[in-house]
Amino acid sequence: MKIQILGTATTKFGELWGVSPRTMAREAIQNAVVASGLKPSDIDAIFVGNMLSGILGNQANLGSLVTEELGEFKPSLRVEGACASGGLALNTAINSLLSGQYKTVLIVGLEKMTDHNSDDVTAGLMAAGSDEERIAGATFPGLYALMARAYMQKYGITEELLASVSVKNHYHGTFNPKAQFQMAITVTDVMRSSKVADPLKLLDCSPISDGAAAVVITSEPSKKFAKKPVYITASEVATDTLSFYERSSFTSLAAVVNASAKAYKKAGVTSEDIDVAEIHDCFSIAEVVATEDLGFSKRGKAAKDIAEEKFTLGKGKLITNPSGGLKSCGHPVGATGIKQIVEITEQLRGEAGKRQVPNARVGLTHNVGGTGTVAAIHILQTKL
Amino acid sequence: MKVTPVKLWRRQKETSSLIGKKGHILLWTIIRVPAKSFGQQAPYPVVVVELEGGQRMVGQLVDWQEKDLRVGTNVIAVLRRLRTEEKADVISYNIKFKPL
Repeated sequence: MKIQILGTATTKFGELWGVSPRTMAREAIQNAVVASGLKPSDIDAIFVGNMLSGILGNQANLGSLVTEELGEFKPSLRVEGACASGGLALNTAINSLLSGQYKTVLIVGLEKMTDHNSDDVTAGLMAAGSDEERIAGATFPGLYALMARAYMQKYGITEELLASVSVKNHYHGTFNPKAQFQMAITVTDVMRSSKVADPLKLLDCSPISDGAAAVVITSEPSKKFAKKPVYITASEVATDTLSFYERSSFTSLAAVVNASAKAYKKAGVTSEDIDVAEIHDCFSIAEVVATEDLGFSKRGKAAKDIAEEKFTLGKGKLITNPSGGLKSCGHPVGATGIKQIVEITEQLRGEAGKRQVPNARVGLTHNVGGTGTVAAIHILQTKL
Repeated sequence: MKVTPVKLWRRQKETSSLIGKKGHILLWTIIRVPAKSFGQQAPYPVVVVELEGGQRMVGQLVDWQEKDLRVGTNVIAVLRRLRTEEKADVISYNIKFKPL
């Protein structure tokens, strides 16, 4: 694969009450195209990652909406796969380059969630689950709570250890000016926060957010593009059952294991080569399980490794979620998978400022939809 | 996708065949921030159950006490009113689980 990342951009993530989905898309697109040193007419096609616009905002047909903001009526389509919509949009875009159909494409992930009350958002997010789960009255925090319960029982892990995920990610978020919550929290804060679905508490859960992120990628980089090259060396997707209760394992996500195994092989790297990773920490337990599924920790040890600051900026060797992750940076669901790419690109270019991981050369993004129903893994490198 | 009366009607054969089946709890949680139509029932437990014969299901636990919330509690599938309908709507019934 010879695919290079050009310009990247994200809006601020958070409760952006004064900003419409269209305005967010415009900001991210314009900044990404300008950062690429291109004109809008140089973009061959657009891929939009979004989950809830049709359900909450009654706006389907997002592909065309976004072309208006680019100012060029190029081929444009929306890709959806719950919270992995961004990663899947990128995967689709990469495949369009590999097919030879296009040479330079724009991918934008966006989500507008805070215009709607939390009841409607909770119900809307359950669109990522199955009828059986909806009939059971389950919510997404509830389904991940089941995962947390299974994991805690199997490995004898405490709620305090789980809380260390949020503590790390909030610490990282203090260095990210785009993050929704730029403040540190403690294990006690997490333990004292209100229960959402036992054993998960409010501060175990990523927030409801607005935001957009965009990247331009090309199969034919121009010599004029001055920034340090960053290549996408693997883009892999795997799927699993819609329902969590039907899985053979409650403590590992097969979609993540399968997609990451394919990605490591394609890129010719192992988990030990990864310097920096953006992990889909929609809930604290999700990061713990992912850290093991990606091969960064031994089974049953991830929560302890995280609590011992093995993945914390300035402490560890491999740093996870330097952006603050979904927990602190925010989780506008369709934007998250693209924001992860933006963060890793900045890290590999040495442009991440106070949250820079020293000498980062190999990065990974882990974007998950549903309860591990779909996973998109990307590996980014400074050299081919 | 909404759980509409027609969806539940299409499942009625399967639903009625489950009534009275026994099993035990594999996993449990208590939903404290529910989806809208379940609002009046919160907080309520959601459990993953393994039925005798090995079939797995996910469902709400009803008529429960604190002591029932553990792995291995024996349960039976019962037919219960599903949720609170909006306005004058068809009242939906479905399988829930009750501790034995």
